Amino acid sequence: MKLVTAVVKPFKLDEVKVAVQGVGVTGMTVTPARGFGRTGGHIEIYRGKEYEFDFIDKIRIEIACTDEQVEEVLDAIVKAARTGVVGDGKVWVLDVERVVRVRTNERGPEAL
Amino acid sequence: MLYAATNIPYPSWLNPADNTWQLVAATLVGLMSLPGIAVLYGGLVRKKWIVNTMLMVFAGFSLTLVVWMLWGYNMAFGPISHFGPTGSFWSGFIGHFTPLATATSEQGQAVSGANTLIPFHFPTATLAYFQFVFAAITPLLFLGGLVGRLKFKAWLLIVPLWITMIYCVNACLLWGGGFFAQKGAVDYSGGYVIHLSAGVAAFVGAAILGPRRWQDRENAFPSNLMMVAVGAGILWLGWNGFNGGDPFYAGADAASAVLNTNVATAVGVLTWLCMDMFFSRQKKPTFLGAINGMLCGLVAITPSAGWVDGTGAIFVGLISASLVWVAWNYLSKVRPFSKVDDALGVVYTHGFAGLIGGLLVGFLADPAMTEYGVKGAHFKGVGGFDVQGWFYGHSFHQLWEQMIAAAWIICWTAFGTALIFYLVKFLLGGLREPDDVLAIGDIAIHEEEAFPDPTFGESLETPSHTHVDNI
Repeated sequence: MKLVTAVVKPFKLDEVKVAVQGVGVTGMTVTPARGFGRTGGHIEIYRGKEYEFDFIDKIRIEIACTDEQVEEVLDAIVKAARTGVVGDGKVWVLDVERVVRVRTNERGPEAL
Repeated sequence: MLYAATNIPYPSWLNPADNTWQLVAATLVGLMSLPGIAVLYGGLVRKKWIVNTMLMVFAGFSLTLVVWMLWGYNMAFGPISHFGPTGSFWSGFIGHFTPLATATSEQGQAVSGANTLIPFHFPTATLAYFQFVFAAITPLLFLGGLVGRLKFKAWLLIVPLWITMIYCVNACLLWGGGFFAQKGAVDYSGGYVIHLSAGVAAFVGAAILGPRRWQDRENAFPSNLMMVAVGAGILWLGWNGFNGGDPFYAGADAASAVLNTNVATAVGVLTWLCMDMFFSRQKKPTFLGAINGMLCGLVAITPSAGWVDGTGAIFVGLISASLVWVAWNYLSKVRPFSKVDDALGVVYTHGFAGLIGGLLVGFLADPAMTEYGVKGAHFKGVGGFDVQGWFYGHSFHQLWEQMIAAAWIICWTAFGTALIFYLVKFLLGGLREPDDVLAIGDIAIHEEEAFPDPTFGESLETPSHTHVDNI
């Protein structure tokens, strides 16, 4: 089993959700996040003074899936989240040792 | 009908329309402080300073009212104590140091030192409350220069001292029939007594108090622009009571003062907006800029609301907002302004705007605009008087009177504020919270925060209402 974590532009969330549902993903966890990458921050002006906002708003998406699903999920996320402009985000994959469904105590891929 | 006509439940000198308008106007002005200034300043400070700022506003408002009842009202507006020969400065300096807490002193007909011939048509309680809300907003305005490092206890001492020593004296001199009122200087609703004085106090106070932590200055972005909108909107419309209440009669002069106030404010908003769009470095229209322009219009029309006509009001908004914009963007980089951390810029939007508005009376006051009912030693004619600016009378007399009064307000406020701040510093062993407290803010000082965000979950312990400590 794998854990796919994607950090994407906030307005791309719904497109990513529909895309991964399309490849059979049955759940995902979403967290508002802030970060910096190559884009850098941005300036805001309050009462004539400029403030540097180094960290910009992103959405962090976490999806647990089976080993076989990973490539399809990655493709779906990348296709949906891509704008071609710097700051589209990153996706990374980690191995997952165990998964437990709390309600039934099922273990392994059945718990996904 | 006969019953109603012959059994009016109030004395014959009382006019219900005047009394009603005066109480409504007073309430509108009160709303400018609570919640107006509380949420405006709460929205402009960092998130960690919201509670501290709002509590200082509510505490300051309460302190001023108690001082007002005990001695403030009669010092500012009661019968004048003649300390010196008639006509001299000291004969018109301050009223009596007496409380306002008996049945007759509340329900009797209002009398004021400036108004000896034409009686008010409402009781003293109405006048005292109306004048109180003006007194109350003044320290709340200069609080804007001090937020983010002032000790809470220091604030509790500064407000009563400042109201007594500075506000009451200035109010008596310009409004209570004191020296400058007798000389002919005018301040329609407090461009000098309130705004110029608040601006000077913010600047001098901030200089003595020292700057905020540099980290707080670097990250001084506002906590909530929607709350700024709420507070600013209440200020604007509340100003209808501020300027519309100062004729003391629900007449044509009240109506024109309201209209002039609003048009000057609208022009102030648009002027600052245009300055931001065409002359600022970023060339962006900004909401907080527009709010500054609004304040400039409101403050600058305050000393002149009933003396200028509609054209004059437009010029007041235009001139004050453009000059203050220049001061805000350029003068602020020059000493001594660059050296003093006036946190919310009170010296610009209140100090400079009040001064500009007060001086503009000397140019723009239209003698065809009459204020009814008020009559004092220097007023000619019966039942109404007017003020003549240079554009109408080709005389600099009024401007000269305005300049003298402004000079007094600046000097007395600066001197008094410095004295009070050093006294409180001495009494409390410092005016500032220590740096480790400043780093945390609200929670360290009040154990409260503006947006409490507890870790949620359900308690496993005994329910608190059955807990032994709570029974």
